[in-house]
Amino acid sequence: MMLKHVALLIPSLLAVTLSAALAQERLPITNKTCDELAAFYAKLPFTDVLPLEVGPVEVQGKVRPVTIGFSQTGFNHPWRIAMLEALQAEACRHPNVKIVVLDGNVDVAKQNNDVRDLLARGVDGVVMSPVESAGLVPAARAVMAQKLPLIVLDRDVPSDKTLFIGQSNVTMAEQVAERMAKDLGGTGNIVVITGLKGSSPAVDRDRGMADVLAKYPGIKVLVKGDGEWIREPAVRLMEDWLTANPKITAVFSHAEESSWGAQLAIARAGRCKEGIRHYTFDGSNAGFKSVKRGTFGADGNYTPYIGDIGLRAVIYTLTGKAIPGRANYDSPGSRLLLPDSPSVVPENADVWIGRGWGDFEPTLDPCR
Amino acid sequence: MSRSLPALRRGRLADAASRLHKQAGVVLALVLLVLAATYASDRFLTVPNLLNVLRQVAIVGILAVGQTFAILTAGIDLSVGAVLGLSVVLFARLLEHHGLVVAIPLGLLSGAVAGLVNGIGIAYGGIPPFIMTLGMLSFARGLAFIYTGGTPIPILNEDFYDIGNGYVLGMPIPALMLIAALFACGVVLRLTPFGRCVYAIGSNEAAARLSGVAVRRYKVLVYVICGLLAALAGLVYASQLSVGTPIAGQGYELDAIAAVVVGGTSLFGGAGSVFGTFVGTLIIGVLANMLNLTGVDPFVQQLFKGALIVIAVFVMSRPSRG
Repeated sequence: MMLKHVALLIPSLLAVTLSAALAQERLPITNKTCDELAAFYAKLPFTDVLPLEVGPVEVQGKVRPVTIGFSQTGFNHPWRIAMLEALQAEACRHPNVKIVVLDGNVDVAKQNNDVRDLLARGVDGVVMSPVESAGLVPAARAVMAQKLPLIVLDRDVPSDKTLFIGQSNVTMAEQVAERMAKDLGGTGNIVVITGLKGSSPAVDRDRGMADVLAKYPGIKVLVKGDGEWIREPAVRLMEDWLTANPKITAVFSHAEESSWGAQLAIARAGRCKEGIRHYTFDGSNAGFKSVKRGTFGADGNYTPYIGDIGLRAVIYTLTGKAIPGRANYDSPGSRLLLPDSPSVVPENADVWIGRGWGDFEPTLDPCR
Repeated sequence: MSRSLPALRRGRLADAASRLHKQAGVVLALVLLVLAATYASDRFLTVPNLLNVLRQVAIVGILAVGQTFAILTAGIDLSVGAVLGLSVVLFARLLEHHGLVVAIPLGLLSGAVAGLVNGIGIAYGGIPPFIMTLGMLSFARGLAFIYTGGTPIPILNEDFYDIGNGYVLGMPIPALMLIAALFACGVVLRLTPFGRCVYAIGSNEAAARLSGVAVRRYKVLVYVICGLLAALAGLVYASQLSVGTPIAGQGYELDAIAAVVVGGTSLFGGAGSVFGTFVGTLIIGVLANMLNLTGVDPFVQQLFKGALIVIAVFVMSRPSRG
């Protein structure tokens, strides 16, 4: 038993390499089988957007192997893996559809190369979730130049594309900030832990918050710091801020991980009794549980489960189906109108637990 | 032996004096910074805050102690952040099914094994430390991702949580672990034959080999220590944050190297001390704390950090030149 876990390391390495070679068994990165993904598919929130029947895909009247490239920002965050999982789940439903996944390593240059590699492999279409908006324009142009379908997920590119699918971080942050302002009764001192500074979701979530707070002069932003989407920097920031500020009413954080980190710092400083509230983002099941337990006041429901829509949009385009809900917007190409999912708050947490992403548990609230 | 004793004494005294002289610069830099921090925030010089600073620097501090060994031999270990990450996910996964008694030794062992591989590659394979440990950086990070499937593993073990968040004799446990690591490594470096050989290898590897020092074996040991301490830092990380995330410690190798260099250890090897590294770690930690206490914009904070590293090394190099 003891050795099992150490021994696991090496076989797991082998297993990943082997499974790639032995085809369909375990899919890369998520390490799931198509059977496991079928059950998962049933719980996805947007399967009724661009719906598609199970079965082979017919392109121009005949069934032939279809290869679709997926260029992901990177797999350094479970959110990104969950997006791929949704995409793989859709692919599993169509026996002649094969996915080629590339990991951009959160590097604009690498991702540009990845997309060109996909084109060189002769894919039938590309789904791309860009590291950075402007930086992936060359890649997007290369795809469009070959007249292939290009579906852009999550972060837009300011150049021509077949379809952009994503939720707005700005309006989502507005929802969360509105809720915070309401809970605070329009007055209070807040601290802000941003996502990795300069990254587009962090910029947009900050903007959404600023838009709302402009209406609430009673809410004062004491200080902002970079939580890098993770826990460790947030703990240090919060410790220092608690030392510097005798009165903090709420923490507005761009990531659940950072919020849990801030809560640790609060516990350590012995300031649980002040009832400092957390407003956060990510939309994981663990986050929703933290909402239910009262640690979080609201969780911006930013779902990664748009990966499956992306793949369906490519298939729709290849098969010449019209895309309902397609609209022109203030950027070249068109976008798919998606409803913003409501923020998860104590009132609706029960409905949402199980419908978020990730199957990990939140860590214990150190204040309880 | 007795004949050479006076000469040795004098040598040691002169050595100690020059060391003090060098370290005076680093300590001066820290004192200046503490004065600035006290001036900038009235909350800086309070016991809870200073204890926070000690706890905050514990992770990078422990990494930097290990890094000091590698740099003293004129080597470098770029893999410490990734090895920390690997140990963090191991601690988390092992704690799901086993107690501390199993998880802690095995987690620490993973660091030592990574270090052993580094050391063998460097000492016996002749691979430059920069390349060997760069390879390990990517390899260990890859293992951590594969092992977790990229998802953080929550740690629900309360005893483990207490290691990272508890106090002994009023001191945060992570800070005590840092101090223990410093003390142990300081003693090893100053008072054991192995320690003196580390300096000898760094000053002139060929000369050390010719005078009969088992250079290869000692080099392996150096990287094992470095890896083991990276896993110890991982223990602090995992227990403080209650989460085993495969991205833990990304970029920490650079923070650790910065702390070592600011602390006066020469990147060319052979000169420096863990005491210096401790002061270097504190300099960087106090700066971050001061900037947070005064609410400096995160964009600007990076600027300060960069400038501080350069200025501290400049200030420190002055006395030794004069």
